[in-house]
Amino acid sequence: MTNQKKRMHVLPVEAYTSQEWFDLEMETVFSTTWQFAGFVEDVAKPGDYISVQAGLNNIFIIKGRDHRLRAFHNMCRHRGTQLLRAVGKDQKAITCPYHDWTYDLEGKLVSVPKKEQEFPDLCNKELHDCELNLHEASVDVFKGMLFVHPDKDAPNIMSFFGEVESHLGPHIVEELVEFSENNEPAYYKEINANWKIIVENYIDHYHLAHLHEGTLNMYDHDKAQFGWKGPHYWFYEPLVPEYTADLKNASPYPLIDSVPEDKIGAYVPWLFPNIGITEAESTWTTFHVIPTAPNKTIIVNRAKSMNVSEWEYTKQYGKSALSKVWTKYGNKGKYNGDPKTDPMSSGDFMAEDVYACEQQQKSLTSPMFSIGARAQKGEYAVMRFQEEVKKWMEAHGAFDK
Amino acid sequence: MSKFYLLSVVEVKKETNDAISIALDISKELYNIFSYKPGQFVTLKFTINGKDVRRSYSLCSTPALEEFLRIGVKRVKDGLVSNHINDNLHIGDTVEVMPPDGRFFASIKKGNYKTYYLFAAGSGITPILSILKTVLLTEKRSFVYILYGNSNEETIMFKEELSDLQKRYSGRLILAHTLSKAKSSFWPNKKKIDFLEGRVNVKNIRWFINEYPPYAQNSEYYICGPDTMIKNAQDVLMDMDVPKERIFMEYFGSKEITNDTIRGVINAKLIAHLKGERIETEFTKGRTVLASLLANGNEPPYSCEGGVCSTCLCKLKQGKVRMHKNLSLSKEEINKGYILSCQSIPMTNIVEVVYE
Repeated sequence: MTNQKKRMHVLPVEAYTSQEWFDLEMETVFSTTWQFAGFVEDVAKPGDYISVQAGLNNIFIIKGRDHRLRAFHNMCRHRGTQLLRAVGKDQKAITCPYHDWTYDLEGKLVSVPKKEQEFPDLCNKELHDCELNLHEASVDVFKGMLFVHPDKDAPNIMSFFGEVESHLGPHIVEELVEFSENNEPAYYKEINANWKIIVENYIDHYHLAHLHEGTLNMYDHDKAQFGWKGPHYWFYEPLVPEYTADLKNASPYPLIDSVPEDKIGAYVPWLFPNIGITEAESTWTTFHVIPTAPNKTIIVNRAKSMNVSEWEYTKQYGKSALSKVWTKYGNKGKYNGDPKTDPMSSGDFMAEDVYACEQQQKSLTSPMFSIGARAQKGEYAVMRFQEEVKKWMEAHGAFDK
Repeated sequence: MSKFYLLSVVEVKKETNDAISIALDISKELYNIFSYKPGQFVTLKFTINGKDVRRSYSLCSTPALEEFLRIGVKRVKDGLVSNHINDNLHIGDTVEVMPPDGRFFASIKKGNYKTYYLFAAGSGITPILSILKTVLLTEKRSFVYILYGNSNEETIMFKEELSDLQKRYSGRLILAHTLSKAKSSFWPNKKKIDFLEGRVNVKNIRWFINEYPPYAQNSEYYICGPDTMIKNAQDVLMDMDVPKERIFMEYFGSKEITNDTIRGVINAKLIAHLKGERIETEFTKGRTVLASLLANGNEPPYSCEGGVCSTCLCKLKQGKVRMHKNLSLSKEEINKGYILSCQSIPMTNIVEVVYE
């Protein structure tokens, strides 16, 4: 083995395996970008809050009675204790469980037990002038999704996403409703692969017709269009003609009516650094990639569909089951093994992707590993994404030493 | 700054039965001098019955377009100047105008992404309209939510312009009217215009914000109307957790005659530092710092004379004063010693002020 560092397309292989690189990314990518935090309806009413981990920062979002969202670092200014748990309702003030220091919804310190006896230095001033108010963060909304940024003076969210917006699907997300059972997301899984492997798989056009030859073949991959806007990737492909012809029957769920007929298809953008969206004909799904270790990543999907009655769904399901489209498309495994134990025989494209990602990760530690060649068009995005990660890290001081 | 320029009237447009808007032409040479931020006002000077009178009017035009300066003037009952303008001003006339000024404005920038809540009552719409248009034209992604109060359908200024804007910017502009004395009998087709009932009051503001929560989370609140309306709006916004730094307001409406019975110290001495000059004089009996200096032949800055515009701002160096009315200075500013000279009468034998 040579001492020369091995490369993926752009980044070194260690970017996918080493703790050191992972820590650098936490600091210079995930703590310097707008991070997905959920849907607007997660913080529906004044006093509701959620807390999320965004890179190195735990941030909570709380809604005031003016319906404006505020974001703060979830940390008492006294000893640093986390203030709020994952979700909650009807909060009027924020009290630290440890010593009952209390903040108002603007993050201003409003009470400290035994202030006079224990903190004589703080006595001359009003508490909110003691420079012990909560650290502010930023929160905003994009396409019905909440995003947080650890910096209170972060560049506004539209300066980050604005350019790519017109390349996303025409879906009016605010009109859709989430489908979930027992308040759980549509999909949650810990995967044994680096987060970038998963992103690269998501934006790899070349694999669609091969890994997913029996599962995603209702989309016309040859007619796909894709490109970049800033650090963000956009992608669109239409349905295959046979699916289009019988769409009203074949669609597994009621069609999303905010998408005009001539614009139906799959919009599958990747928003830098770690949130994808799959905006399709009858579903709209977020694909959130949460790195937990160099070779471990959690994926959380949340899915939305039309806000119509259960009966409409039942009717559509019935029609879809009878459609001939599905005898040819959409649900066959690549191999003829046991669908229960072999992901490649499952007929489930998520299982196929997870399998491919984990299999690639396994090889990264092999002395023989190298990237053999790159598909010029179909894998351009894979290389470009690595460039974007590198650029972002550079711009945020990752390689300054 | 307190220099007047002669501008000519290029358009007089009837807005309602008792209000007009006037467009003023700005020559190229004056273009920079008359540049303004949306929300600011100009001061007009007239000689009526042999006396000089000044009044400030907010601009309702937008600096985002190269257009004439426009002001809206609503008749005030027994109002000297507003009636003079409505009765006597015609196209081709010239008027004396002081360049735009005022601390009520929105800092509108191209890349901003904000939600602007605007609350206007009556002729308070003028600066609000300027802010509204400038936001929509300049900030391509920001939202504007406006609640506009009038007494009835016929007194709504800029009704058509607003409804045109609503059509053109339907995704980013929400417009709600509220009428305190709706003439529903004149509107047989009730569905033609939807409106709330009542003034721009606590109940309506609360409803409006609950009904239309901000989309862009960086929101600001602009209020313009008579003082009770401002007070109510401010109270309800604060009660709804809106931070003070996000609220901007401008008093607007008829000039009230003060009922203040306190007379101030008689024969008090007045020392003023103005444009590098030290002036020593005596207060005219019962009059303000501004009135006394004018009587002494000095030229201190001023415009509205109503405690609103703060053009006449100065700082107290010695002594105490009492302000009849203060509709523009914050507590912090007063604590720092700032006073409005048009409203301040002496409470000590010596009063010393500095114009900065």
